[in-house]
Amino acid sequence: MALDDKPTILIFACNWCSYAGADLAGVSRLEMPPNCRVVRVMCSARVRPEFVIAALSRGLDGVVILGCHPGDCHYSEGNYYTWRRALLLKGFLEYVGIEPGRFQLRWISASEGARFAQTITEITDTIKALGPNGRRRPQEG
Amino acid sequence: MEQELREIVRKLLQEGAIEHFIGYAEGVEPLHTTPCFIEREEEVGALVWSPFCPYNLARYLHQMKNGAGKVGLVVKGCDARAIVELVKGNQIQRERVVVVGVPCQGQVDLAKVEEAFQGAEAVEDAGDTFLVTVGEEGHSVEKERLLREKCFFCKHPISFEYDFVLGEMSPFLLDRRSELEFAMIEEMESLPVEERRAFWRAQFERCSRCYACRDICYACYCQECIFESRAPRWLEKTTTSLDNQTYHLIRAWHMVGRCIDCGECERVCPMEIPLRQLYKKVEREVEQLFDYEAGMRVEDLPPLVTFQVDDLGLVI
Amino acid sequence: MAKRRIGVFVCYCGNNIGGIVRVPEVVEYARCLPNVVYAEGSLYACSEEGLSSIKAKIAAYGLDRVVVASCTPRTHETLFRNACEEAGLNRYLFEFVNVREHCSWIHMRAPDEATEKAKSLIKMGVAKSYYLEPQEELESEVYPEALVIGGGVAGMTAALNLAQQGLKVHLIEREKELGGLLSQVNKLFPANRDVKEIFDPLAEGVKNHPLITIYLGSEVEGVEGFIGNFKVRITRVEGEIKVGTIIVATGGRELKPIGQYGYPTVANVLTQLELEGRLKEGIDGWQSVVMINCVGARVTGRFYCGRFCCLTAMKNAILIKEGNPQAKVYILLQDVMASGVEAERYYRRSMERGVRFIRYDPISPPQILGERQAEGVKVYHALIGREVILPAQMVVLTTPLVPQADNERLSKMLKVPLGSEGFFLEAHLKLRPIEFATDGIYLCGSARYPSDIAESVSQAYAASAKAAIPMRQGLVRVEAITAFSQERLCHGCGNCLRVCPFGAIELKGSERGGKVAWVNAAQCKGCGCCVAACPNGAMQQRSFSDQQLMAMIEALVEEVSSGP
Repeated sequence: MALDDKPTILIFACNWCSYAGADLAGVSRLEMPPNCRVVRVMCSARVRPEFVIAALSRGLDGVVILGCHPGDCHYSEGNYYTWRRALLLKGFLEYVGIEPGRFQLRWISASEGARFAQTITEITDTIKALGPNGRRRPQEG
Repeated sequence: MEQELREIVRKLLQEGAIEHFIGYAEGVEPLHTTPCFIEREEEVGALVWSPFCPYNLARYLHQMKNGAGKVGLVVKGCDARAIVELVKGNQIQRERVVVVGVPCQGQVDLAKVEEAFQGAEAVEDAGDTFLVTVGEEGHSVEKERLLREKCFFCKHPISFEYDFVLGEMSPFLLDRRSELEFAMIEEMESLPVEERRAFWRAQFERCSRCYACRDICYACYCQECIFESRAPRWLEKTTTSLDNQTYHLIRAWHMVGRCIDCGECERVCPMEIPLRQLYKKVEREVEQLFDYEAGMRVEDLPPLVTFQVDDLGLVI
Repeated sequence: MAKRRIGVFVCYCGNNIGGIVRVPEVVEYARCLPNVVYAEGSLYACSEEGLSSIKAKIAAYGLDRVVVASCTPRTHETLFRNACEEAGLNRYLFEFVNVREHCSWIHMRAPDEATEKAKSLIKMGVAKSYYLEPQEELESEVYPEALVIGGGVAGMTAALNLAQQGLKVHLIEREKELGGLLSQVNKLFPANRDVKEIFDPLAEGVKNHPLITIYLGSEVEGVEGFIGNFKVRITRVEGEIKVGTIIVATGGRELKPIGQYGYPTVANVLTQLELEGRLKEGIDGWQSVVMINCVGARVTGRFYCGRFCCLTAMKNAILIKEGNPQAKVYILLQDVMASGVEAERYYRRSMERGVRFIRYDPISPPQILGERQAEGVKVYHALIGREVILPAQMVVLTTPLVPQADNERLSKMLKVPLGSEGFFLEAHLKLRPIEFATDGIYLCGSARYPSDIAESVSQAYAASAKAAIPMRQGLVRVEAITAFSQERLCHGCGNCLRVCPFGAIELKGSERGGKVAWVNAAQCKGCGCCVAACPNGAMQQRSFSDQQLMAMIEALVEEVSSGP
């Protein structure tokens, strides 16, 4: 099916680590699937679960939060809150019927360009295999 | 017990120890009570206590937030947890509240009574049974037949946060069926993901967005609810499948670490959406992952505003 | 909804974006987005020409929001913000869209998809820009004292340079003496002069300067704060030291190649630094010496080249030959790194002195012959096509510098990153090479990458020059991405203040009655954790508000819904 091959995946990347890692992947010209859209935040802890809920409910195929490795957060502890939120959110989303894999949290440091590329490729493959998330336009029921 | 309650309240009002008392009064119809708000000694006669007191009166403490006077209220064990949470969330100071704890032996599910005994006029708590009066006849019924589902696994029948207690703080007479507490969660989890999705979609589609669940919830005290926000517009004013789902999922998220399973939301839902089956999922996760129960101690930090480095070892 | 006048500038970045993304098509697309009144392509948006165009169009079209789609905000955001400000537009009404590192450069084989993705990213950026609000930056004081961590050549140079500008410096060194690696070195290339000639004046200058306080035998224990206002605790000192900036000059250490070529059990197998130690003591007179280069460098697990170890080997080879012209001195190497002003000449000199260079292939490395003592080295001589056995009274292993063992600990304390090799990672390889992304912390010398003295000194000058800027200005402007609480929406639950890592939030009395949250913007570092913890959005973050981020999500959703 044509739709399967074009998932749209929202990525939140923190300025100090994962966004820089993504930049490094770019500088290194690492090829990866074109389905991701990065939204820059200063810290992964800025990402409120309501964004994830809204994005997935509105039909985006995947939402990924990227943060600094635990212990390396630029703001010392932001990513610990992100972790707790993600733990709870993940279980809850699966419970209400959103397939495991559509929401993920990963740690990427500023020097891990290759890891960013691998992560994006892996997550895109996972989400492609899940197929499109049920699409619903705001105007429709 | 009702006499004792009325006496306590009368004295509190007489001494000026409280300005208002929130309690239960006879409802208009049989088998109903209604929350009542008393200010004068003469009114205490209206106060009752029966197995038909499901309302979580702590909900009304919202209105007391910015005042100065003291308020008293009667609470079951489950409801008392709401008071702790309200104090934790800076919505009221403990000193302003006079808590009358009542050793509840279980609340009756009105739907079950109406199904089993049409035209019932009264139901009394008789220790380990209920005594149902239909016309002239009295029927002794095993409690399990009429009890609210949440009462089967009541973890905190004894309110530990109280200034006065009615009678004695006696333990819950019924055997606690703790295996029931999360049985419906486990059942849902055993279904394949597509069935879960279909189930919840069907449930959310029935929602009329009356917001009764939000309005009755003790924990919903935001100055302006997120769902009223126009910046951003998390959802629209329509009852589309999308908006309903967004509403319920975000609300459930906001219940993390705060839901005390008072069951009011489900009771008031006109569409009979199984809301407890949603909120108890996060209740269980919070308990299992972070060993946290809402409303136990004011000093307990809510799970989302704290962390342990050990958290990283946790897996779902 | 109010109308806006958004301008979109799509950069070609020469071929970097334009060679993959069809920029004219993207410009056309941008032109049609809601509230966009102007769009253009720019060959190099960051160039003088590109910036002038942006400023001109702001004026000509009355733009009230500007979106530039080019490289990464981590390099040029300030540049474009400055341009907006110069054109009279508040600098926070600017939004950066990354279509190079996050698009053209990672989809070079998929130009169609890259073009569609660029459009999508711009749509998101435009959607966010609509909701941007003008902001004023707070000014924060900078305490005019610096901390230099590390008393080697880089640290001493940086400290002295700062002190000469009239700034007070705290120089901390964990050994009992200043000098770092320099104290172990014998003579310095290319004139083969004694290290004392460089070290002594430098160390004396540092010790005698009234503005430099030296802490020997001390280490950093904890760091808190931010540019202008760091509070540092060090061992053996009571209380905290307050500084405005920090320079990391902790250097590197020589790799000890344990387990390779009989090191360290075989007595006459040494590293280059250990050889320097012997030479300093006046030991010489070896009849035969074999040096093996690239030990532990350019291998799996450590890909980098040590930069100056080739020259170190040549230097020591020349010194041995000068001590005993009859000595047989061989250097076994894979390649020669001899870049820099004098290096090639020096290489030639060593050959003229009789040092023999033999190329070896890493897949068949040299072998040490002899059991408790090395007696010879067997190596496959690539040029003549057979194995040769070289006599070796001493074997010297040339190893690269590696990161200090406590880099990780220090990096966590300062909250700065390490690169993949374990050295400290600068903000940007080319555009910001001697500072960290974190404001107020700078980097020089081998702490970043094996550096010879010339490089260490240059970088130390650079780091101290950069560090002096905020300290001389006395003020820094705090980026206006701080959080703020909307009093009318806040119900004082306290979630925000509990999660703030900087204690920047308090509950204050409200006219409404009760308490509401208040953010001390000078202490707020802009992480946004409080916003995510706020149930109803009373707390927001400037330039990263819920409304702005949701607008980006909605823009993306719109695309997805209107697709096939």
